[in-house]
Amino acid sequence: MLRPPLLSVQDLSIYFLDGESRTPVTKSVSFAIEPGERLGIVGESGCGKTVTGLSILRLLPPHIARVEGRILFNGEDLALLPPSAMRRMRGRHISMIFQEPMSALDPVFTVGEQIAETLRAHFSIGAKEARARGIAALADVGIPLPARRFDEYPHQLSGGMRQRVMIAMAIVCEPKLIIADEPTTALDVTIQAQIVELLCQLSDRTGTAMLFISHDLGVVSQTCTRLLTMYAGQIVEDAPVDAVLEQPRHPYTSGLLRAMPHFSERRSNLPSIPGRVPSLWAMPFGCRFRERCAYVIAGCEEEQPMRHLNGSAARCVRLNELHLPGAVN
Amino acid sequence: MVNAGPLLAVNGLEILFPTRDGLQTVKAVDGVDFIVRSGETFGVIGESGSGKTTLGRALVGLLAPTAGTILHDGIDLASLRHRQARHYRRNFQIVFQDPNAALDPRSTILESVREPLDLVGVGTREARSQQALAALDRVGLSAEIAARYPHELSGGQKQRVNIARVLTLRPKLIVCDEAVAGLDVSIRGEVLNLLAELQRDFGLTYVFITHDLSVVAHVSDRIAVMYLGKLMELGPAMDLVDRPLHPYTMALLSAEPIPLPSTLRRNRPVVLKGEIPSPIDPPSGCRFRTRCPHAQPICVDTVPDWRELASAHWVACHFAGQIGSDIVGTHQQ
Repeated sequence: MLRPPLLSVQDLSIYFLDGESRTPVTKSVSFAIEPGERLGIVGESGCGKTVTGLSILRLLPPHIARVEGRILFNGEDLALLPPSAMRRMRGRHISMIFQEPMSALDPVFTVGEQIAETLRAHFSIGAKEARARGIAALADVGIPLPARRFDEYPHQLSGGMRQRVMIAMAIVCEPKLIIADEPTTALDVTIQAQIVELLCQLSDRTGTAMLFISHDLGVVSQTCTRLLTMYAGQIVEDAPVDAVLEQPRHPYTSGLLRAMPHFSERRSNLPSIPGRVPSLWAMPFGCRFRERCAYVIAGCEEEQPMRHLNGSAARCVRLNELHLPGAVN
Repeated sequence: MVNAGPLLAVNGLEILFPTRDGLQTVKAVDGVDFIVRSGETFGVIGESGSGKTTLGRALVGLLAPTAGTILHDGIDLASLRHRQARHYRRNFQIVFQDPNAALDPRSTILESVREPLDLVGVGTREARSQQALAALDRVGLSAEIAARYPHELSGGQKQRVNIARVLTLRPKLIVCDEAVAGLDVSIRGEVLNLLAELQRDFGLTYVFITHDLSVVAHVSDRIAVMYLGKLMELGPAMDLVDRPLHPYTMALLSAEPIPLPSTLRRNRPVVLKGEIPSPIDPPSGCRFRTRCPHAQPICVDTVPDWRELASAHWVACHFAGQIGSDIVGTHQQ
């Protein structure tokens, strides 16, 4: 009997509330993360990947969003926890790294004060020990002269440094799972490479699992072993990274890969996916991608469940017949 | 008069800004020389502090050089009187990164696209509206979009509106400053393909500024690599990407995240140490030396010469040509 996954999200449906009405933002999102595993969620603007990440930690304000479904962490449903228990969870067992370190870090407190705050919220330790552990965390994330940086303010640090501080805050309590929402998007590409390397090394060394949310297929494929593709509020593909890249099973994933300039001849026409993502208020019935899909057939107007083939899953009725172009020709 | 020389000739260009307290200077562009030929796409790549955005604005006359010259079709705009300069500046236009910020939310699309013509004051308003509609049509937007407001359009559509707006003036050169960076990957092709089409049809020249190597490698004839206000390398796109000469270019190529299966991924990525220094106080000698894996004492004392190492392929590095490139370009020919 296999041990249960670290995180099991089941039929997660998120709605945005507006007075009397509610608009569905995600629909029946289900996935699991094993201990130590790095799972990527890839999708473009509006697909629902960020709200999915936020909902796991119940960071969506209840008067704005309604979350339905189960979020099992080590078998316990986070959706049913009282607020005090959820507070003990955040930062301690599950932590989060955001895209904009300047918004996530409080500008009026030093970097050290913020790390110490996280520690002292979860452990009963004194200021001295918090300082020592905080400096060690800064060193762990590769910040030079960590004792000095500990007493600096966020604005005194570069973007890459601030992101390292956020990672330090995320790991200092040794969580089992880190949710990283576009952690490198705002960074220069050479700094991004450093942060990607750091996250992978940390995760390997400490056995911390990661949920890596990004629009960047390249970054996700470098860091993760498994990949989910999201489109219009649903998961449309779930497969190991190499499998997705070599043989994507959903036309949207294939379109996303082929749109990258790497895979086209220089100066030639770049493929793109025609049309637009359907509006939240005008979601087509059946397959949500069918209006833009080159492989659409009559059966696509039916509701599409996830179908399985050789360790991959995709929300496509033609899963068994299609040979979609991937990263390799 | 037809000028047979390059469309743009940049010589010893420096653009310096005082800091807020006036005590220090940000050397945003610190001595740059290059030309841009008519009809080509000249790519400029760099990270934060490279000066590429400042350079782009200077090329269209939004910023004045602190030192050095920019010749537009042989003419130094700085030497002209304001009204004359404005006349020539029409030929050099810019499209920015954020399609929203460029459009007035309270003007209709037609009004926005017609605005440059209104400012120039050519013909009747009706005639200008017709020209604006023609420009919208040329970028693949239907006439019914003309009456809409920006918030009703998608990001890709808005960026096409911005291109239409620039087209109304029939410029010779368009600076694209991160023109597709704000768009989803799956629709960037739309805008890039449109730009290529317009280049063929109107004989346009582009200066394509971006931090995204895959995009710049795809669209450019030649690529210039900038770091802390100076050029590190400049050459034909294919040569630069397949046989980079400068360690910084090699690092950029290596750092680029490409979605390839692990079996095909290149090994030995070059991960640079340290942070990008501040343009207020760039390192002495070669300014890349603080992060360069090959730095030697000479790199501290002596600014490397800008030399032509291979055909039309320039580099500023004391050891260029001697450094083995472990990085094989994975871009297809």
